[in-house]
Amino acid sequence: MSTPDIELVSVTKLYGDTLVVDTIDITIPRGEFVSILGPSGCGKTTTLNMIAGFQEPTSGELRIRGADQQGVPPEKRNIGLVFQNYALFPHMTVAQNIAFGLKMKKAGRAETEAAVRSALKSVHLDGLQDRYPKELSGGQQQRTALARAIAPRPSVLLLDEPLSNLDLKLREAMRVELKEIQRELEMTFVYVTHDQEEAMAMSDRIVVMSRGVVAQEGDPTSIYNRPRTSFVADFIGKSNILPISAVTRGEAGPQLVLPGGVVLAIDTAEPVEGMRFCCIRPEDVRIRGLDGGPSGQAANLVDGRVAKIVNLGAHLDVWVDVAEGVTLKALLRTADAAGMQPGASITLAIAPEAIRTLAE
Amino acid sequence: MNRILAALYWIAMALIMAFITLPLLVVVAASLSPSSEVVLNPARWTFHWYGELWTAKWLGPFWLSVQIALTVSVISGMLGLLAAYVVAYRRCPAADVIMSFILSPLAVPQIVKGVAIVLFLSSAGLFHLLGTPGLIMAHVILTLPFATRMIATAVYNFDRNLDRAAQSLGAGRWQRIRFILLPLIKPGIFSGMTFTFILSFNNIPLSVFLVRPGQSTLPITVINYMEYSLTPVLAAVNVASLLFILTTIFVFEKLGGFSAQLHGGSK
Repeated sequence: MSTPDIELVSVTKLYGDTLVVDTIDITIPRGEFVSILGPSGCGKTTTLNMIAGFQEPTSGELRIRGADQQGVPPEKRNIGLVFQNYALFPHMTVAQNIAFGLKMKKAGRAETEAAVRSALKSVHLDGLQDRYPKELSGGQQQRTALARAIAPRPSVLLLDEPLSNLDLKLREAMRVELKEIQRELEMTFVYVTHDQEEAMAMSDRIVVMSRGVVAQEGDPTSIYNRPRTSFVADFIGKSNILPISAVTRGEAGPQLVLPGGVVLAIDTAEPVEGMRFCCIRPEDVRIRGLDGGPSGQAANLVDGRVAKIVNLGAHLDVWVDVAEGVTLKALLRTADAAGMQPGASITLAIAPEAIRTLAE
Repeated sequence: MNRILAALYWIAMALIMAFITLPLLVVVAASLSPSSEVVLNPARWTFHWYGELWTAKWLGPFWLSVQIALTVSVISGMLGLLAAYVVAYRRCPAADVIMSFILSPLAVPQIVKGVAIVLFLSSAGLFHLLGTPGLIMAHVILTLPFATRMIATAVYNFDRNLDRAAQSLGAGRWQRIRFILLPLIKPGIFSGMTFTFILSFNNIPLSVFLVRPGQSTLPITVINYMEYSLTPVLAAVNVASLLFILTTIFVFEKLGGFSAQLHGGSK
């Protein structure tokens, strides 16, 4: 396997006495789309700034293409950067903005023009090259910023919440486009975001950060399906997170006893030693006899009463009280749950495989 | 109610505008009048007094004032730029101290400054610097606070993300200064220089101490002339100076584009 583009080895960053990034290890292989995902204050932006070279790690080692970056200034790192507020040069046209990186590299005129043209094409801005940033819409500014960053062909592109200033529709369209551009250019993208949907939609790999440490790392599917902590389970997608009161042995395998005496059988492969919580995705909470959910003997059947229904259009969020103080949220297709009313008694069906145990 | 307020607002505005412009109109009328009595009838107006300005008596001081003002605006602009760079861009640890030091002449009355500079020059054995070099020096001390302040404000408003963007695109320090910082703070530099030019061109209190015998700037010549006679030629000088200053502002604006923010500005 070739050298990874970026390696962070036990990297720590202190601001005064505040530990912002705590001994993290991240490896970003060449050509991958990696998201660093976390809530604000988790250290993701600091991590990005350290990779870009705007901040030096307090300790640990940061390698880019195998070379230690200590003391290497940002302008020598050959890393592209897309900012949240775009940071376009207001006194330059779109074409001049895009050409800037090549001008700094002292590229020839023909080479610069070709690079500008191809960058404009990749981001679908053809024809706008003579406009000033002021004359562009938010989405166009965003594309210009992207074109400017990719034009000099950096080996790595860092993106700092680049879509957060766009409206929802545009944001969703740009997700698809960003991913396509990344695949086309075969460039390593490091995408910093607090938006888990964005990270899920685009990434080959997600690094979830929380309070300065890496909470979990993996491809989107495994992170979604196998969260290791309640933080990850809660932050990535939606989850029912319930404390485990006790673990017993049933005929078929281990069972979790939840507060209020609810008993759930779980998959035999699921670890139980030292596990304090379990999580169930709302879409895995089915209603028996309603939506063709798991009706076999294998499924856990839990009686409950509908507490609240929120209509999301295609889907319904349904809160079901299953015991004193234990409420499960179910995501149902609106068509399947037609006529359901708060107060109705129903039986939930939850497959054992859908239940994950969490240590913290 | 709102309409009454609006009416009051416009009346107040009109009065303020009249207060500012009417004296100027009177000066213009005076400069065109045939004698020292102000004539408002255009039929009797004459350009005679403007012709009189075209003599060494007025042109000499005018050129001296222009030379000093231009030199001072260049020196103050450059020093102000350096100070603003260190204070507002690099934000060096002693930034506040440096800024206070540069702004401190503002607290000293001009007369006091003038006397102090003369005393300094004589006690330091630099009396021969009286005249043009002394005037330039004094005017730089006078105008540097304004130039620095205006340029520093432009630098403070400079979006540092642009600098980081340029850096990520491979631009070293000098390239960032040349291609990003300077073009974006240029309006600030030029407005500082314009202000400096006007301050220097109009200055009397400092200049009176520092002109060599037989030498005179334009405002000093006007003051001296007033002691002997009050002819419309003074009004003509004032109108001509006004037009000259307006032209200067226009030229500086064209060069520096204070209004470049129209298609510039980073936010």
